[in-house]
Amino acid sequence: MGVGEVVAEFGGVYVSSLLSTWLMTIVCFAGGLALGVLVTIMRVSPIKPLRVVGDFYVQVFRNIPTISLLVIFVYALPYLGLLLDYRTCLIVCIILVVASFASENFMSGINAIGVGQIEAARSVGLSFSQIVRLIVIPQALRTTVLPMTNLLIATLLTTAIGSQVPLTPPELTGMVNYVNARSVAGISAFVVSAICYAGTALLLGFLGNKLDKKVRIVR
Amino acid sequence: MAAKSTAIIQMHHVDKHYGELHVLQDINLDVQKGEVVVLIGPSGSGKSTLCRTINRLETIDSGEILFEGKPLPQEGKELAAYRAEIGMVFQSFNLFAHKTILDNVTLGPREVLGTPKEEAEKEAMDLLARVGVAEQAHKVPAQLSGGQQQRVAIARSLAMHPKAMLFDEPTSALDPEMINEVLEVMVGLAKEGMTMVVVTHEMNFARRVSNRVVFMADGQIMEEGAPDEFFDHPKTERAKDFLDSIRGH
Amino acid sequence: MSAHTTSMRDALYEAPGPKTRRRTVIGTVVSLVLLAVAIFFIIRQFYITDQFNERYWSFLLEWSTWRFLLEGLWGTIQVAIMSGIISMALGLLLMLGRIGQNKIVSGICHVLTDLFRSLPSLLLIYFFFLVIPKYGIRMPSFWMLTIPISLAASGVLAEVFRAGVNAVPKGQTEAAMSIGLTHGKIVRKIILPQALRIVIPSLVSQLVVVVKDTTVAYVVSFPDLMQNTRVLISNYDALVSMYFVVAIIYILINYAINQLSIYLAHRSGNKIVTRTSENPV
Repeated sequence: MGVGEVVAEFGGVYVSSLLSTWLMTIVCFAGGLALGVLVTIMRVSPIKPLRVVGDFYVQVFRNIPTISLLVIFVYALPYLGLLLDYRTCLIVCIILVVASFASENFMSGINAIGVGQIEAARSVGLSFSQIVRLIVIPQALRTTVLPMTNLLIATLLTTAIGSQVPLTPPELTGMVNYVNARSVAGISAFVVSAICYAGTALLLGFLGNKLDKKVRIVR
Repeated sequence: MAAKSTAIIQMHHVDKHYGELHVLQDINLDVQKGEVVVLIGPSGSGKSTLCRTINRLETIDSGEILFEGKPLPQEGKELAAYRAEIGMVFQSFNLFAHKTILDNVTLGPREVLGTPKEEAEKEAMDLLARVGVAEQAHKVPAQLSGGQQQRVAIARSLAMHPKAMLFDEPTSALDPEMINEVLEVMVGLAKEGMTMVVVTHEMNFARRVSNRVVFMADGQIMEEGAPDEFFDHPKTERAKDFLDSIRGH
Repeated sequence: MSAHTTSMRDALYEAPGPKTRRRTVIGTVVSLVLLAVAIFFIIRQFYITDQFNERYWSFLLEWSTWRFLLEGLWGTIQVAIMSGIISMALGLLLMLGRIGQNKIVSGICHVLTDLFRSLPSLLLIYFFFLVIPKYGIRMPSFWMLTIPISLAASGVLAEVFRAGVNAVPKGQTEAAMSIGLTHGKIVRKIILPQALRIVIPSLVSQLVVVVKDTTVAYVVSFPDLMQNTRVLISNYDALVSMYFVVAIIYILINYAINQLSIYLAHRSGNKIVTRTSENPV
């Protein structure tokens, strides 16, 4: 079976698979950023326990293999009285992991600002909340465009672990399995999924680079 | 405590430690309104720390600092409002990297004083013209030379209409050919009667415009006096040695 | 001149006044209470679902359990190390091809680098597990796992190497050219030795990604740590305890690798380049 035939026979499933992969990537990335902001706030706060918990969170979730986390969510949590459907498990796991990397990116974005600018802002008479709103957040966001783009691409690739749980429609990696179970597609199924991944990653990389050029802070 | 004094800044028995290090030891210093006080001394003498305690970028362990007769606010809105009244110029300029030169100068007036945008920008352009960088208004800090950035930093402080200004080694990070353009701006300010506390190694500047030179070493004020008096007839051995070392004898 | 150095973390909040200090104390107490409550509820949940029952944990005191886990860990280590070696060699080749003078080779290497970087390792594993056998090629499970992991890692490593080459000062090349070295010699004798030293911490930290990738070994039935865990679970019917214990083992391994990489970076003064940090897209 050639690529053309695979597309002809499974085209509809592929489109919904691609869309569902994209949607999952966006949801996981957005959720990861939001949680990452929260973790970062904890890590820079003057309240010691929050700092410790934030640091601990990052060490746990940047070091745990996502598959290991997924099996805990899918198989272990039901024993502890928490039963989530497969897609929810998957999304929550990826969000937890993405948040730890997002927080690391935010932290290095904040570190890049430098103590001097904060002191200057203080000297002008800006309040703490003004300093955060006018100096810290804008600079941290603008310096993290490239790392965050890479994290978005990494999120896309991480959704491939969705192939380890039953999903309808399957995401792009699960599609190889799906097509193979139903026909003798061989290499073609792989090629179509690969093109979808590489195309998406290329597009995201291109957009991220463009955005970075626009907002990059020259130091 | 001090009876009716005209001093705008008063420091009484100020002490500060960094761990074991006693960086400020029983500092007593009054700065009169319109006075230009130069702090000099070897590195590690505590002169920068002293300068930074005046707008509470550094806290003190004991003693007191008064501004216009009132103790320094410790935190919150009061502290921010107090700092808005005191300009500060840093060694490394510390311009806001993500904002244009114009926005660097208007940020304080707009956010702290509530000045309308147009008015703030008009005044900022006047200030930038005054320090000679008006043509750079729409560039970002990294596109300017060090001397230009420092002049913008001065304009940023002036935009807040400060009652006094602190200069923490304003020319130490500059290439030699840029030092004078910054000093000229400072000389202008002094002539207009700005109250200034200046940490610097620029002896000519100290001689030309300061009313008083304060020499520090090891966290203590060793001696102070009129500039000519101090430079020509230093009283302490430490001051003599220091002056010799920077004159290259 | 201040004798202490402040990190941005601390600089964000200035030295507190009396009110702020009081608020910080209250915040500390409240957060400690909340933390204690959260931990209490987690422990309670384990307790009421009977997960603290001795039968779920006692086998962890037996040597045979740990011997079996260590065997799995040995499998993980073998795959990780072999993948590390292959991906480094391949990554280096891709990078050298890309910066080389042959336009066609350079183009191919560029495309391959970007391709490997933008495919999930799992997809590549499925390629070797599901697709290749259809063409009559039989492979041991070790290689069905190791090759795809290596390919996925090589794309990122090629970029890490390239970052290392870019970090070698331009003056080095100019100086080498001025004494008459050829392009090949400049790369081999001057640039590569320096670039490699620069990227050592990044290479080490990339091992974390490889270790994580090995956890899908069960797909090809290779006996790694995760696969052996599954076997133990079915033997002892102790799913919750086992999965948590193994997750902790993975976290500790990767934490150790990361700390080593940070230590190396600190010692040499080089930055760590990873996919999600400095890496150019």
